[in-house]
Amino acid sequence: MNENYELPLEDAGYSFGFLDEYAKKEVRRCILKAIAIPGYQTPYASREMPMGRGFGTGGLQITLSLIGFQDTLKVIDQGSDDSVNAVNLRQFVQLTCPGVDVTEKTEEASLLQSRHRIPEKPLTQAQILILQVPYPDALVVVEASEARRKIMHAEADYSRLLVKLYEDIVHFDEITISHRYPTRINGHYVIDPSPIPRWDVPKLHQSKALVLLGAGREKKIYAVPPYTLAEPLVFDDIAFRVEDFRDATGVRHACRCCGSTVSFLDEFSNDQGMVAYQCSDSAYCEEQQQTGSAA
Amino acid sequence: MLNETINCSPAIWQPMLQQQVFRGLLDSFSYPGRITPCADHETSACLAILIALVDGETTLADPQQLLSSALWDRLETRPCVSEKAAFILLDGAQAPDINPCIGTLDAPEKGATLLLRVSSLRSDLTGNHSLHLSGPGIESTTSIRVDGLHPAWITARKEWVSAFPLGVDLLLCDQHHFVAIPRTTQITMGGAA
Repeated sequence: MNENYELPLEDAGYSFGFLDEYAKKEVRRCILKAIAIPGYQTPYASREMPMGRGFGTGGLQITLSLIGFQDTLKVIDQGSDDSVNAVNLRQFVQLTCPGVDVTEKTEEASLLQSRHRIPEKPLTQAQILILQVPYPDALVVVEASEARRKIMHAEADYSRLLVKLYEDIVHFDEITISHRYPTRINGHYVIDPSPIPRWDVPKLHQSKALVLLGAGREKKIYAVPPYTLAEPLVFDDIAFRVEDFRDATGVRHACRCCGSTVSFLDEFSNDQGMVAYQCSDSAYCEEQQQTGSAA
Repeated sequence: MLNETINCSPAIWQPMLQQQVFRGLLDSFSYPGRITPCADHETSACLAILIALVDGETTLADPQQLLSSALWDRLETRPCVSEKAAFILLDGAQAPDINPCIGTLDAPEKGATLLLRVSSLRSDLTGNHSLHLSGPGIESTTSIRVDGLHPAWITARKEWVSAFPLGVDLLLCDQHHFVAIPRTTQITMGGAA
């Protein structure tokens, strides 16, 4: 965001949280129904935000409808508090919600808006996780018509999605979905859990914290309530597995900064052209470096 | 039914207080059976919920005329018959005589939200009006004691929520607290546990 950007004030000042109260009420009504029907993509009138759709406007509208003076907000993008999307969204909330605290520490936040990761540190009942969603419907890969997808969801008919997974096993001996892994909520609706890696999918299961998912461009809000079944779609004889960070000799890679061998790692090339591994969750990595307690 | 009339403080019309009422609602829907205090102690809980949630884009039914016409004017919502309303305000002490909307398979969110006024909500399970709850949002089971709720509501609700995702969502409200019972919650009635 441009540092000198100011909200236009020609007609009337913007209300706390940028959205007008009618917009917030609509989002709030929609969120309550989304919790009451776990995993159901509840349609809502996604508002124009002063940023492009696809930049987290769905998550942002949820955050702005929830936030109040008593809140502390953490915004993360791919695990990091300092990448462009996170910085932009955090600055926007600070600009439009004067008085709200922000933090980078997971345990200090009451609201966490995230793109593509769930923090390593387990969340509590006092926290709410808001995920930004680009593609809300897990069925879109097998059915183009939304009207038909709605019927399939209502009937909990996921046979074609299972066929897609089966084809993967036939071709590659493995289900090849790396992120956005279709996950069944409370035994009925299958959701696209946003582009979180497989690593994070088990965190949705019986989570202590409420998880809200917002798709601004697709105009959908859905929820995984706390203490709710969240089962990745699998077959009885092919178990779900998360990313494996072991090398060819079976030794697990460690984070090059904090040495953790239990976190989700990003793989990249260092200055010498060597493959390096580093924690994706920057707040977790920093804490491990300070306490030196990394396993 | 509660003897207190439904009333409100001037402060509840301020957005910041409505935001706090909503956060209470969010908490109560996330953790069904949790007795949540209404953020404004000078406003009847059921009215505070309505003020926080309704506007001209949604519909409200008040078949027992619990709201004064002055409150209707300020709520700026659309009156509606209970068969079609998104929100229905009712006295929980009277047996149900409504047929609320339970949504459709492709739009289950159209299922109504029922606000039932009861005389008290407590977590101590004395007396014989306890509800044992389980389902999403509840770690194993939880129990609450509800005074002033006609038992026929539990039977009627069971019928309305029998075909998930269709159903209605309940909000039980005493003067200063509320409890959400979304359509996914299973209820068994029992005596003192």
